[in-house]
Amino acid sequence: MIIAGERRVPASRQAVWHAVTDPDVLRGFIPGCQELTQTEPYQYDAVVQVKVGPLKANFSGRVRLTQVDAPQGCRIEGEGQGGAAGFASGAADLELDEGSGDTVIRYAAEAKIGGKLAQIGSRIVTGVAEKLTQTFLDNLVNHFEQDERAA
Amino acid sequence: MIGSNHPGSIGKHIPRREDKNLLQGRGRFIDDVPEPRNTLFLGFVMSPYAHARILEINASAALELDGVVDVLSGSDMAALASPISAKIEIEGYRENARPVLAADKVRFVGEHVAVVVAADPYIAQDAVDLVEVKYDPLPVSALLDEVVSGNAPLIHDDIPDNLIFESRFATDGFDEAFASEQVVVRETFRTGRVAGVPLEPRGCLAIPGQAADTLEFYTSTQIPHLVRTALAQVLSFPESSIRVVTPDVGGGFGTKAQFYTEEIAAAAIALKLQRPIKWIGDRREDLLTSIHARDHIFTVEAAVSKDGRINALRSDMITNAGAYSSYPFGCTLEPTGGVRMIVGPYDIRNYSYRARSYVTNTCPSGAYRGVAQPTCFLAIEGLMDRIARTLDLDPAEVRLRNVIKPEQIPYTNVLGIKYDSGSHEACLLRAMERAGYQEFRRTQYAEKDTDSLLGIGICCFTEVSGAGSVGWRVRGLTRVPGFDTATVKVEPSGKVTLHTSQATAGQGHLTTFAQILSDYLGVAFDDVVVDEGDTSSSPYGTNTFASRSAVAAGGAVIQAAEKIGDKIRSIAGFLLNADPKDIELADSKANVVGHTDRCVSFQDIAQTAYSMAGIALPQGMEYGLHATAFYDPPPATWPNGVHIATVRIDRRTAKVQMLNYFVVHDCGTVINPMIVDGQVQGGTVQGLGEALMEQIVYDQDGQLLNANLLDYQLPTSMDVPDISIDHISTPSVDALGGFKGVGEGGVIGAVPAIVNAVADALAPLGVNVNRLPLRPSDLMRAMRNAGV
Repeated sequence: MIIAGERRVPASRQAVWHAVTDPDVLRGFIPGCQELTQTEPYQYDAVVQVKVGPLKANFSGRVRLTQVDAPQGCRIEGEGQGGAAGFASGAADLELDEGSGDTVIRYAAEAKIGGKLAQIGSRIVTGVAEKLTQTFLDNLVNHFEQDERAA
Repeated sequence: MIGSNHPGSIGKHIPRREDKNLLQGRGRFIDDVPEPRNTLFLGFVMSPYAHARILEINASAALELDGVVDVLSGSDMAALASPISAKIEIEGYRENARPVLAADKVRFVGEHVAVVVAADPYIAQDAVDLVEVKYDPLPVSALLDEVVSGNAPLIHDDIPDNLIFESRFATDGFDEAFASEQVVVRETFRTGRVAGVPLEPRGCLAIPGQAADTLEFYTSTQIPHLVRTALAQVLSFPESSIRVVTPDVGGGFGTKAQFYTEEIAAAAIALKLQRPIKWIGDRREDLLTSIHARDHIFTVEAAVSKDGRINALRSDMITNAGAYSSYPFGCTLEPTGGVRMIVGPYDIRNYSYRARSYVTNTCPSGAYRGVAQPTCFLAIEGLMDRIARTLDLDPAEVRLRNVIKPEQIPYTNVLGIKYDSGSHEACLLRAMERAGYQEFRRTQYAEKDTDSLLGIGICCFTEVSGAGSVGWRVRGLTRVPGFDTATVKVEPSGKVTLHTSQATAGQGHLTTFAQILSDYLGVAFDDVVVDEGDTSSSPYGTNTFASRSAVAAGGAVIQAAEKIGDKIRSIAGFLLNADPKDIELADSKANVVGHTDRCVSFQDIAQTAYSMAGIALPQGMEYGLHATAFYDPPPATWPNGVHIATVRIDRRTAKVQMLNYFVVHDCGTVINPMIVDGQVQGGTVQGLGEALMEQIVYDQDGQLLNANLLDYQLPTSMDVPDISIDHISTPSVDALGGFKGVGEGGVIGAVPAIVNAVADALAPLGVNVNRLPLRPSDLMRAMRNAGV
């Protein structure tokens, strides 16, 4: 499963980078995020509730940022265990391009799923992942638009 | 007397006795068997990884759940039951055992790592979700094509290169014979991996004896006696203290002719806890853990004369064993089957084969209806069509030039296998006539329909069926006895109970065995009750698979009828003051030949035999009226047949529409035409699924991506054409009663016929059809690649 795309965010690159690496801010972007704590620099433990078709499970796992080139980009690697629902793991390359007053986020992610999730959800899981990605980005954009309105 | 064909019920359309209950919803399947009040239920924790080390199992949260009695890990289970091994004794096989629950390592997705024992099945499922297992994932080898290319990660330490079985054969002077022809036609076929998908998933109920140390074991199986023997062995529990009972079985197709680890777990836990234990699998478990089949790479190569005669044939079959060799057939059944059956109805004198089986991180494969034969006939029949295209001959003509002729029968093929009878050429000619083959060929391209393509496909085949002990020994299967058994009891009332060693899974045994006994004993059909599937009442035998019931148990019924008939004649002679040799039996009566008035009923005879009448038996004659016969049939009987399918393919959607379907089949003596037709139809539909839609999909990480019936596509009534069935009957000479098996011919004939029809339609476009299943998306891609 490969998901790739880009999104324009109305904020400076530095602000976007800060938002996606600050656990207190990041937590609000991730759909279904129950917990997110930073364990060490660029490493987070998270619990995220995901619903795929008839399956609903809490995935707990670890996310690491590698190849960090702040604020231009990084690679995000993570895996989550959903207990009886199976597991998911993946990696995404993130690139932040500074524009005039905004930032374009380019992403290319590859994910693997296993267990029950794959057995009964593989037909719909790409759609779900696309949706989650878009929701994440919507939340990110909204975050800065709200900032703009507040200002 | 044995082998004689009494006029009577054999050959008649007698409605199945089992249907009334089933159609009225009164069937009693495994989940309908009433469980005792204190029954506990199992839930299995399945591995989400295809290959991983088990680091830790934490069951504390599960054990805290109200109603959970126990959680057992692989090492807990190892203390209760030993691993299971198919003990195949054939050169080139590497012995391999499977633990009941994985202990150190998991080797396929769905393999059990722990089992929860709980007060009800819902709690068991909830608890399964609470068992935390830590894994260390290992590199995975799931796809056969990648294993063959080498460098696959090792799955079992004692199976180098993951090659669990290899075998080779060549006739003398093969290479010279092959080199002597200038035309060589070659193709590699890749078949999809499929599942049997019985309507009723597997399940079992183990009840330990209240007082004595016994075990009553209900299970949805085709092989109760083999299950009992195997259970006794792995549990180290006396076989005589185990009773295995099969209730109604909602379809088996071979998937239930295997002995499964869930059965061992249920029995072992029942004995440990001294509580009844029940497990009922769901559809996902069935698709993940019931044996899979096919998933073959089959290469065939023929050296052909200019007139289309195959002078020499070479085949190379590679099969996917899955993670373990299944019990009792192991992983050698498909490779040995494919390369040994492929010569089928053809007169080919120079032959060489290589057969291999590799272990992979997938569900174990096993004996599914047709075993390797849909694939090997896909290969040889696909090759026939390619020979025709290469030499610009008609495909039917190429077959007619190679097929065994009537005057060659009895025929011993290139592997030394004897066909005692058969109608190979006659079936082909009859099928061509019924299908209007020549007419179809004349008009195939006449109509300039730009939206669709028409094709016709033929499959000529033989089916190995009803194998006896020699047939199984040749293939190294020492856990499969080969004989079957019948016990006839004439009860004091004169009514007859027939116990056979079989276990029906929908084949209509209660009807057909009564027909056989009725004719061979001279008992009225309505006076016979057939009982089977309970090891406490039915005699030991090989049970129900590989199209063996009519041949093996039918032969035993004939022999038992002969034995008991002799005694009935003796008593009747005594009662009628006549020589027993002059007594004939018919319609539950015995009379002196030519004197129907000098007659005594079975009831009177039985009352004498059981000392219920005023007359005592003469001194020296044993009381009672029972007989048991064991019948070991020939190495195999060889039914044959021809399927012809016509299809229309939509050029825009690549959807295959079945047009007409013709079957001409020869299973020797037809016991009940309605049941035979049902077998052929059901098999044909399963073959249609295998050809056009069914596929278990594993990704390269060994994840099974469609363990549900929304994504694993099965044929529905909307996909199935009218199937026209015709019979030619050449009774077996070597097998009692002349019976040959009919359980698998449908699927064996259908896969190649349908694939060849699709290939025929697409051949003018330059599309090569050699990979199953033929889903519209796959065909569309192939058409695009060919530039259509």
